[in-house]
Amino acid sequence: MSSATYEPRILGFLCNWCCYTAADSAGVGRYQYPPNLRVIRLMCTGRLDPSFPLEGLADGADGIFVGGCHPGECHYQTGNYHALVSAALVHETLQRLGIDRQRFLIDWASAAEGPNFVRIITAFTRQVAELGPLGPAEGTGAADPRQALAHAAEAAGGRKIRIGLINASREMMKSGDFSREGIAALVRAKCDKALTGLTAGGL
Amino acid sequence: MNEVHPSGPADRQGSVLVVGGGVAGVQAALDLTALGFKVYLLEKTAAIGGVMARLDKTFPTNDCSLCILAPKLVEAGRDPNIEILTKSELLELKGEAGNFTARLRRKSRFVDEETCTGCGLCTIYCLKQIGDDFNENLSLVHAIHIDYAQAVPASYHIDPQACLQLNHDTCGLCAVVCRAGAIRFGGQEEIIDIRVGSVVLAPGFGRVDSEVLRQYGWGRFRDVISAFEHERLMCASGPTGGEILRPSDGRHPKKIAFLQCIGSRDERCGNNYCSSVCCMYAIKQATLAREHDPEAEITLFFLDIRTHGKGFDAARERATRANNFRIIYARPPRVEDVFDGRLLLTWVDETGRHQFEKFDLVVLSQGLEAPDDAKALRQACGIELNRYDFAATGTYTPLQTSRPGVYVIGAFQGPKDIPDSVTQAGGAAGLCSALQAAARNTETVQAEYPAERDISEEEVRIGVFVCHCGINIGGVVDVPAVTAYAGTLPGVTYATDNLYSCSQDTQKLLVDIIREQRLNRIVVAACTPRTHEPLFQATLRDAGLNRSLFEMANIRDQCSWVHMQEPEKATLKARDLVRMAVAKAACLVPLAEQQLPVIPAALVVGGGLAGLTAALAIAGQGYECTLVEQGRELGGRGLLLSADRHGADPRRKIEALVNKVRKNQLITVHTGTSVAAISGYVGSFTTTLARSGQSVVVNHGVVVIATGGRPYTPKKYLYGESGRVLTQMDLEKRLAAKRPLAAKIRQVVMIQCVGSRGEDLSYCSRVCCGQALKNALRLKKLRPDLAVTVYYRDMRAYGFMEDDYREARQLGVIFSRYQPDRPPLVSPGRARSSPLKVKAFDELLGEDIELDADMLVLSVGIEPEETGRLARMLKVPLTAEKFFLEAHVKLRPVDLAVDGVYVCGLAHGPKTMDESIAQAQAAAGRACQPLARGSITPEPVVSQIDAAACIGCGACEMFCPYKAIEMYKEGKMRKARTITASCKGCGICAARCPSMAVDMGRFSLHSIQAQIRAFGSPMDHSTEPQGEENVLCNV
Repeated sequence: MSSATYEPRILGFLCNWCCYTAADSAGVGRYQYPPNLRVIRLMCTGRLDPSFPLEGLADGADGIFVGGCHPGECHYQTGNYHALVSAALVHETLQRLGIDRQRFLIDWASAAEGPNFVRIITAFTRQVAELGPLGPAEGTGAADPRQALAHAAEAAGGRKIRIGLINASREMMKSGDFSREGIAALVRAKCDKALTGLTAGGL
Repeated sequence: MNEVHPSGPADRQGSVLVVGGGVAGVQAALDLTALGFKVYLLEKTAAIGGVMARLDKTFPTNDCSLCILAPKLVEAGRDPNIEILTKSELLELKGEAGNFTARLRRKSRFVDEETCTGCGLCTIYCLKQIGDDFNENLSLVHAIHIDYAQAVPASYHIDPQACLQLNHDTCGLCAVVCRAGAIRFGGQEEIIDIRVGSVVLAPGFGRVDSEVLRQYGWGRFRDVISAFEHERLMCASGPTGGEILRPSDGRHPKKIAFLQCIGSRDERCGNNYCSSVCCMYAIKQATLAREHDPEAEITLFFLDIRTHGKGFDAARERATRANNFRIIYARPPRVEDVFDGRLLLTWVDETGRHQFEKFDLVVLSQGLEAPDDAKALRQACGIELNRYDFAATGTYTPLQTSRPGVYVIGAFQGPKDIPDSVTQAGGAAGLCSALQAAARNTETVQAEYPAERDISEEEVRIGVFVCHCGINIGGVVDVPAVTAYAGTLPGVTYATDNLYSCSQDTQKLLVDIIREQRLNRIVVAACTPRTHEPLFQATLRDAGLNRSLFEMANIRDQCSWVHMQEPEKATLKARDLVRMAVAKAACLVPLAEQQLPVIPAALVVGGGLAGLTAALAIAGQGYECTLVEQGRELGGRGLLLSADRHGADPRRKIEALVNKVRKNQLITVHTGTSVAAISGYVGSFTTTLARSGQSVVVNHGVVVIATGGRPYTPKKYLYGESGRVLTQMDLEKRLAAKRPLAAKIRQVVMIQCVGSRGEDLSYCSRVCCGQALKNALRLKKLRPDLAVTVYYRDMRAYGFMEDDYREARQLGVIFSRYQPDRPPLVSPGRARSSPLKVKAFDELLGEDIELDADMLVLSVGIEPEETGRLARMLKVPLTAEKFFLEAHVKLRPVDLAVDGVYVCGLAHGPKTMDESIAQAQAAAGRACQPLARGSITPEPVVSQIDAAACIGCGACEMFCPYKAIEMYKEGKMRKARTITASCKGCGICAARCPSMAVDMGRFSLHSIQAQIRAFGSPMDHSTEPQGEENVLCNV
């Protein structure tokens, strides 16, 4: 890529045990990938506060990646399922704000999967690059989307939304349905009211 | 199994002598102190580190060798229970196991180790230059020097043969300029007697005689270099600063040839054995040569490609494909110099044609010999050597020399690579620990750290240390620019760069700088916190700082290594990562440490050779052990073997082990039992065992996995269809029968790699070649006139198994190589009673050859027993091949990623019986470390709940996977609190808390938010006022 082409800024949250280790092993194997990702290490994706990705986008990221262990292989047993709940909220919020949901990705790579990590990051970087910078690309032309995202991040730290997420998490654990669609539906149902307030103004 | 005495006489010594300071010796020393023993670490040169310190990279991962070794060296140098004796050798060993007196000779360094600050002024003024042995004499050093930058001890020394003062009573400048006054021209050698309980010999390997190298032109033609020289040329801290330059003209070679088996597999020089490591290290060196020059033509000449280690075949195939290597199966007999300054190689290819070609550089992959002082050690210790002067050991006692209480590890036990050496180190430590169990902790002292400085009233003062990592980082990222940038960041009061941040002298420097600059948060921008955080945290403690005040920016594994072609963008990324780390560091606060008790008992899963050995070794060290076996009987699949390569019957040996286990009062055996559930953490596991509907609960501190493997069941070559087709295992059984061979059987054909190496199993199973050789020899000895033909891809008779290969050929066994895309074809004979037809292409004749096989023996690979369920319960990763993935392939070969869980035997990967036994002893040795320590100090990343903010909703309690949160009443209010001992730090509670009342030690909300904000603001801070309150963390 020449320096004139658009370089998306991507922020990653990687769990210590799988995805961060995969990223290290990609380095050890000298697998090359685009230099757009900046990583924040978490012990588990279960630590992912729903406000983190929104804040990242508000603060200048064009894409957010969350990487954990494969479902069923979480080092802490269920952390990545809870991460899916947080992720569903992020996707829902993006959609309501009119921001392309492809700017946020949650995916998995085990400690032994350096090449898989590289594949995911390479594809995601290309995808975000194709979307273009956050804001102009959204085509809403209205208010600054990053400001709306900052507002949403703050709201995600609020009690209303979080109680909705607790309920969604509880139902998820009870039902044992960890499919992305199922979790998304739960989060939509449980957080709908809180989200309406948040995104009423739209962009 | 070695005889062990768990409750030996009280006069046993609590210390161990380790001879040799290479990676094996250093690892043994560290393992021994962790088990409660004092160690004398004897090293004949001036610094520990051995050959591994001289390597640029290590295979198969191409990890930077020193980067992974240096933390161990530093740890050994820092351990108050390890006394490093440099320039020393063992003269005599008196006494008996448990109570030896060792006489040592210690030569003078002529520089006082304690006083020397390592400033290096002396070497600048020294007038005498000598060849630099560390750099294979490719550069010069002064008579007073330090072997390498990261050397431990980090002290200079004088070469007494070269020093002008010592030899001619002149010069003496070093003493004049040394401000510490550390020079001791009057230094004398000392004879020291020490009392130790056991001795671990780890002297490493010797070099192939230079006469052998000279036959290939080395020493005559400048551009013929040894692999060790090549290694130094590639290394950033080597004589050329990491450039591969032809010695003759200083140019980059465009055509490089690697010649294998120099001084190995060669009767002419007396070394018939295979050195085991050269094939893989040549692949590594070729890969690095490709990194250095994308255009170079690289050719490797092999006899067989022996990449039999775990993951090696895959690494080799990937490297060969990605780097476009040319592989030639041939052994050029010599190297000739031709007029145009290039080197001529001639060889005979597999079709019998003569070939010749010219090369710019020829690298000789020299083998490993017994150490130069092997005979001296035999003399001093009274041990026996084998015919090649390696220490003699037995299949079932692989680490035991002929003298009780004297163990051998590493290359002196037989040529081997680093993981096998490290494994053996752990095993020997376990054996010493068993022998001296009664004297555990009698001679050791507790490590002491200075009192922690109270920083609560201090302003934030962050120190940033940016590592070059030789050229690993510095070759891509502009380290000085990143360092300068770090200095402009808010809260940073000090920023500097280091060549190697992990070296011992840098640790000292860090402590000094932290004190001088009154730093209270430290950021190291270097490799990954997963491997190096503990090292730097220990340094923080040495400087009186709480270890939680530390953050790393991963600018190597996740930056310079993955953006090698984009240095500018990599530099920008490194700046961002440093800025984010600094922002987080500003938010860090000291966290209190806690100690948790350890249940002094172990669980061993699997009752085969590895499991039995591990259980006995744990019990031998004085700890209770529960052994669980799924099958009805103990013994495992080793019972399918009817002879080892020395003719002994493994079944008798395994039965003896089973008896010992059954009789041992510390071992509880559960057969016909499976593991239903495991919960807990290192020090406190709770396991439910299930046996025909009943369940038993066991509490234990550690787990050893030895679930084993099974032979692959072939699906072709008429297996199962014709009674003439056997696997090697079937043949083992038949060979143990009364009439093993019917008289009618005239010809036996064996086919190697059935199912292995890219068929159903992607990997090489390591042992099948050796087993085929062993059984071919058994057949030949039974019936010398029997025709035996072996179809193979690469005959992987590594180590001393090469002797079997030679013997088999001498006895007339025919070996014929087949190409993977052209395997032998097997078809039924005309009648049911007629022999099978085996058709294979013969390269030399250029046509198909058809044999009548009365018996066809398939060498099938090894697949792991079911590992997925146990892996999920323990949360440990598996490889793609479903073997357990060790925590670090080089340096933690028996540890798994979860603390307190260890692996050995076939569950780790295919291996021979003696390798399984050594690994089981290692797993047992490592597993006993937490048990011997008695307590563990978990990392303080646990959750904390702010009672004032808690609204008592109970979500955290509900979602905690470890039941580590409990609800309690505070007056009328319901509140949550963390049970610290059970918390593992995942942070689900924090992510779900509706009132943000939960915080997570070093992963607090504020610190992560600070990282996110720092990510978002890549402006140039140099234009902003520094130390603004609002940009630092508001906790």
